[in-house]
Formats: sequence, C-alpha cells, structure tokens
Amino acid sequence: MLKYSLRRILGMIPMLFLISIVVFSLAKLMPGDSLSGEIDPNNTDPAYIEEMREKLGYNDPVHIQYFTWITNFMQGDFGKSTRYKIPASEIIAERLPNTIFLGFSSILITYVLAFIMGIYAGRKPYTIGDNAIGTANYIGLALPSFVAGVFAIYFFSFNLGWFPSNGSVDISTTEGTAGYWLSRIHHVFLPALVLGLLSTASYTQFLRNDIIENSRKDFVRTARAKGTPESKIYNQHILRNSIIPLITFLGFDIVALVGGAIITETIFTYPGIGQLFLNSVSQRDYPVLMTLTMMFSFLTLFGNLVADILYGIVDPRIRLD
Amino acid sequence: MKKPLLWLAMLVLVLSTFLAACSGGDTKKTSNDPKENDKDNAAEETGPQDGGTLTYALSSEFKGLLNWNFYDADGDDDIIAFFDDALIDYDENLKAEPNIASWTTDDNKVFTFTFEKGVKWHNGEELTVHDWVFALETIATLGGEHQRWSNVNTIEGAKDFNEGKADKIAGLEVVDDYTLKITFDKARVNNLENVWAYPLSRKEFEGIDPKDMAASEQVRTKPVGTGPFKVAKVIPGESVELVKNENYWKGAPHLDKIVVKVIDSSLTTGELKNGSLDMTPFHPTVLPEIEALDNVEVVRFPGLSYYYIGFKLGKYDGKKNVMDKDKYASKELRQAMLFAINRQEWVDAFFSGLGKPLNRPIPSSHWIAADNKDMPIQYEYDPEKAKEILDKAGYVDKDGDGFREDPKGEKFTVKFSHYATGNPTFEARAKAMTQYWEAVGLKSELQMTDVNLYYDQLEKDDPALEVFYGGWGTGADPDPLPLWGIESVWNYPRWVNDEAQKLLEDAVDLEVVGTDTEKRAQLYADWQKIFNEEVPSLPILELEEVMAVSKRVQGVKFDVSGSNSPHEWWIKQ
Repeated sequence: MLKYSLRRILGMIPMLFLISIVVFSLAKLMPGDSLSGEIDPNNTDPAYIEEMREKLGYNDPVHIQYFTWITNFMQGDFGKSTRYKIPASEIIAERLPNTIFLGFSSILITYVLAFIMGIYAGRKPYTIGDNAIGTANYIGLALPSFVAGVFAIYFFSFNLGWFPSNGSVDISTTEGTAGYWLSRIHHVFLPALVLGLLSTASYTQFLRNDIIENSRKDFVRTARAKGTPESKIYNQHILRNSIIPLITFLGFDIVALVGGAIITETIFTYPGIGQLFLNSVSQRDYPVLMTLTMMFSFLTLFGNLVADILYGIVDPRIRLD
Repeated sequence: MKKPLLWLAMLVLVLSTFLAACSGGDTKKTSNDPKENDKDNAAEETGPQDGGTLTYALSSEFKGLLNWNFYDADGDDDIIAFFDDALIDYDENLKAEPNIASWTTDDNKVFTFTFEKGVKWHNGEELTVHDWVFALETIATLGGEHQRWSNVNTIEGAKDFNEGKADKIAGLEVVDDYTLKITFDKARVNNLENVWAYPLSRKEFEGIDPKDMAASEQVRTKPVGTGPFKVAKVIPGESVELVKNENYWKGAPHLDKIVVKVIDSSLTTGELKNGSLDMTPFHPTVLPEIEALDNVEVVRFPGLSYYYIGFKLGKYDGKKNVMDKDKYASKELRQAMLFAINRQEWVDAFFSGLGKPLNRPIPSSHWIAADNKDMPIQYEYDPEKAKEILDKAGYVDKDGDGFREDPKGEKFTVKFSHYATGNPTFEARAKAMTQYWEAVGLKSELQMTDVNLYYDQLEKDDPALEVFYGGWGTGADPDPLPLWGIESVWNYPRWVNDEAQKLLEDAVDLEVVGTDTEKRAQLYADWQKIFNEEVPSLPILELEEVMAVSKRVQGVKFDVSGSNSPHEWWIKQ
C-alpha cells in the first residue's frame, strides 16, 4: 500500500509539470493583461503602466516568463496578486476557510439526506414513497444550480425571509462567540443546500439501486431463511455492502470541497475560492490564477489517489500492488 | 476559458432580470397610510434624529486597499469616502474648494496651504501638514511604481528625492504644523488640481517600508482616517463595519453605524424591497424595477462620463498620433452618421433614459463645457439630412443593391466594433446603431469583441477595429489634452488637428491665460466647436448617475462631485 501510494505521488510530479506548462501558456494566450483594464486617463499615467509591465515582466518572451514563474513557484513564492497587491497565498488563505466551510456543510447535507432517502427508497422500492423520492431526485438532477440558487433566494430570502441572500456572516457579530457561528451557519445553509442538490440526488439513487440489488443476493436470502429480523438484514448486512461504493466518492469530494463552486458562490455573493478564481480570470491576475489552477490540479490527482486507496481498504479483493 | 465565463456571466445577468421581475409587482405596501404621513411630518418638525444603522451595498467585490494613497479601483473608494476626508473638495461645477486645507497663491507656482486646526485622526493624533509631507515623500520614494507619481513629480525636487540625490523634497517647506508651502517645478494652470492632496498618518505607518505599505494591515483591515466614521471591522471582500466618529471635526454624525457589504447585482431589487439595504448604486437597466418600489427613492445626479463612437483615423507611432487612414477621413461621412442616429430613442431603450445626447466631448456639468446653443451643428435625429449629406459627399448607390458606394464607386461597409462582457444588452444596442446607419443606406457590419481583446486592439490600432464604441469618465481636472492631444495614447481615434491642438495647449499655458478661468473656458469652448464640426468621434450621450436611497434615510444630497458629507445623513425612526 505504502509503496503504491509513493509511486502514485511520484507519478504526479511530471503530470503537474505538464499541466503547469499548458495552463501557463493558456493564461498568457488570453488577450490583454492585468493592466489593460486600467485606462482611466485621470488616474493612470501611461508611463506608469509601461513601467509596471516592464517590472512585472510582461514584456519578456513567454518561455522566460514561465521559467521565472516556475522557479519561484517551486520555492514556495506564488507571486504577488496584481489585483489585491498582497501575496497570492495570503489572499487564497483568506478565502479558503469560507469555501471549506461551504463545501463541508454541503457534503454533510448531501450525506445525511442521501442516506435517509436512499435507505428508505431502497427498502421500499416501487412504493409511493420511493417514487416521490425518485421524482424529487430527478428534478434535482435536472435543475442546474444557478436556477435552483435563484429560486432558493426568491422563496427563502425574499419572500419568507428565513435566510440571508448574500455574504458569509453578519459583520456585527463578534468573532468566536456562539452568535458568530450561528450567523455563519445561517448564511451558509442556503448555498450549501443548493450546492449539494445535484450530488444528493445522485447519491440517493446510487444507494437505492445498490440496496435493491443487494437485497436479491444469496446472503440476504440465507439471512432471511435463518429468521434474522428484517431491520437487521437491511441495517447491517445490506447497508455495509452498499456503502462501499459511496465511500470511494469521498476522494472526489475533496476536490469539490476546496475547488469551490463558482456559480453558487457568485449567485449568493459568498466570498470564497470560486469567486476569487472567476475574478482572477477576468482581471488577468496571473499569480492567483496560476496558484489556484495548480492547487485544483493537485487536488484532483490527490482525490483520485485517495479514491483508489479507499477502494483497496473497503474491498480487499482489489489489490493495489 | 473565455466562453463558459461569458456564458456564465450572461446567465447570471439573464437570471438577474428574472429575479428583479419576480420581486417587482406583488404586495404593494400601503404608503398612503395616514399614520406614516404623520410620522413624516413629525420627523420634519423635530429635525435630524440620531442613531440607526445604514446599509450600503457595492455590486462588485472591493479589493481591500482602504487608503486614498494606495487604492486604485472602484469599490474601495466608496468605502474610504466614509472614513477619510480629502484636503481639497470640489463643488458642483468641479471647481476646487477648501476642505481641511485652504490655499493662496500669487503665481500658480508657489502655493501656501493652511490646515484647519483640531482635525484628528481616528487614533487620536492631530492631523498636521507633516502627514501630508509624509504622504508625498512616500509616493516620491516609490516613484514610477506608484500610480500617483504623476501627481507628485511636478513638485520641485521630487525627482531628485526619488533618485536619492536629496533626502528631502526641496519644494516642500513646512512653515509650522498647520502651514505648508509647496513650490512646483513650474507655474501651471492646473498645479492645484493635479497635486496629490491626501495625507497619510505618520504614526500609523511609522517604520513601515513604503513598498510594504499597501499590503499592511493599516491599509487592509485596520485603516484610520479623519472622516465622519471609523472603521470597526473589515471582512475582506465581503463587508466593512463603520461606527460614528464622535470627534469628527465638522460635528458628530447622526448615524451610529454604516455597514458596507458586497452583494451580487441580481439581488439589489429584492434586498431594497426587503428593507435590508438602504443605499446602493445600480445599473441603469434595472431602473424601472427600482422605481416601482414604494420604500425606495431613486436619486439622479449629473455624471462625468460620456460615451462616443470613434473612427480609427490613423495610428500611434510611439510618440504621437498620425492620421493616415482614409476610409473614414471624410468629415461629411462622419457627420451624416451622427445625424442618422436617433440618440434619444437609443438612450431610452438601452439606458432606461438615464442619459442625454450631447454634441461635444465634455459632460455638461463641467465648468469648461460650452453651452450647447453655441455648438455650430446640432445633431438632431434627421435621416433625410444624413442622406442629403451623403449624396453631396459622393456616397451614392451606383450598383443598385440598396447600399451606398464610396465616392470612388467601390463597395463601402461600416465595420462597427463593440466590446462584449456578457451583458446581453450590449449586442442589442450595438445592433441598433448599425440599423440606424443601414436606414440611410450605409452597409454596416457589427463585430462583438471580448472586452480585454477589444481594449488591446484599440490601444495597438489593430486593423480589425475601424469604428468603435467607447466611453470616458472625466475627473476634476478639465484638461482634454490627455484624451485628445496629439501625443496622447488615449486619443484612440488618432485625431490630429493643428488648430484644435493649439487651443488645448494655449488653455494650459499660463502665459496665455494667466489665472483667468473665463479666458480658459473660452479657449475650451472654441476647441469644442472644432470637435463638433470635425466629429473625429461621435458624441453619443452623457450618463446620468443614479443612487437608490431608502425613504427612511434623510439628509442625503448628491451632485456631480458625489454626495454631501455622510455626517449629515440621518435615519427616520
């Protein structure tokens, strides 16, 4: 297992290197640079823009720019955000907690809802309850998050006034108090629900189908023949087997956790990584853009690795070496 | 990477209209309630009430550079204005007027500035001229790396200081704590408007390397100023809480608190309706929905920006503009194209009527703006006249395809470019322009270009760009030289006219105009007349600014220079 993990991690290095080249070239191919938007003649002197372009190295050939960037990057210097004028790592660290909180809440909601609905539907397939859950799930699958987000804001924020429509916390609460955390939960609930909608629907259906499939297997018939109570059969024998594939999804959820949700964060004006990424693309904030892209790439590779390892753990039949 | 982004932004916009539409219509509040009217009267009689929290919204994320000396974008300045005062203010005609500093000068070269006594920073220190000297020296240390260097390098000795040849800026002479004498390198008409007039607290920034100041917490999360409100808390990129400054030098504010938060523009109408928002600027396209709200008043005030359609007449050769492109060189063609546009109809359709057609490239509220009546040509919508001018100029349909050929008899197509940002109304409004031209027989083609690429092409005189849509915001300094001068990169049409250039140069030449603003205004008026006849770019409209203000907020006034001081605002309880 250890050998396998090490081999995979070493294999990531050339992969990340290639990704960095592609992403860097693509970023530089975008028209304009971080200074081309600044065309306010009363505030900005052309000489200043020229000097900044020279200083930021935008006038150098692309391969030299890449080399400078990758050298600094390897040494842990991710560059200074051209938009925020602070190091890229600081601005990312500032937003990351919000995104992790949102991602974590969304996963929590997803798992709780998926388990309750999936187990119920799997146990009583083809009943009214199952069909109702199925219908709800297919609506959830079909509804893109930007539509769901707008509806959620319209009903729960504007009409009912239950949840705020924007922000991550009420600024007048003092940090660290119970009120502060309640306010954060209050703010995160709606975006987290919308964000989790799609995966809730797919996890529920996945779990339901797996339970139905397992309940027809031989070991279940044997257990029934022995007179094991129905609830024990479902909660222990079947559920244990059906959870296995779901657990492997955890690896991919890591990426979703940190990758943020561009659309959801934008609609709910929730200051996280997704929003930061979107801004950095449109403002050509290369240091932030590149750091985030590299982070996402790494996490995707890492998430894949975790998923593979988890497979091996929950299902000993799969040999990793 | 571009496409999904565009698509996403478009969706958000489309949905925002949907949201806005949803939150319109239903449940009218009973504004005719007699009780409420009584309360109105009572409040008017008792005068301003103290207390209350005002919520102000920004539609895009602020960068968090919360200091006049380091900010560089929209959003941040809205917040700074609440807690930091400028030394010099501008009146409704954008003429400088004393705020903390007043000044005297005899020759426009040496200025003596006198500070108000007893103005305190939020950290308790008194504001003195040393703080201003500190700000100027900080900028001069950074030199070309600082955006405001051009506002400082006109002071005598600033360049020597920057190069390390002097340990002080020679042109700054501190007479006493409240008096500073500034000597500029030469006499100019606009030395006062140009000089950087924002102090920087020495105590706060003591010992910080000027290079690190922009990233320091004194700028980002714990800023201080001299203004009516103090910053209590900053949540980066999301919201700022400001509390009242009891010791404000103009008097304690009425409001207890101002909360500034960032909300997506699609939420504006709903939040205003809910009463969870008291004041916000907004995009002209949502005006009808906001006007329909009972609890919100829309305040309109003259703006300082104008939009135009420019023609690429030449190129920038690295030093100056050269007019060498012939396609749109005919003045008559350009005039006809302006006569062909129904600007009022266009403004009503795409700017909710928040704008006025104009005949010169200077917004009306600026003191150098010439009277519209004096303009030689009034470009009223007149397609017949446009056709007549085109006929006379030789643009006639020779091959009978319904469109005019150029005087040489060759096919002629107006290639019009507009930037695309994801705002779905942009393509429609650009298309409308080409339709106006086609109606007078000019074949027109529309090209929507991604905004970043667009400005890149514009700056570099890319041949792909021929006729383009653009806009300028003008500041307090009236000088059009940076926009239309022969050496200016911002002169995107690359228009060169010796007579016009001479007028602009004379208007800032102290030997010609002296300190006589009347004379200066006259020269600018003459320049606007030339522009009006030549129309190197077609002036389309000047924008009217709007602010949505909740009806419970009182004492708010806006003019072209912005709002009145927030310490006069109050909330009806």
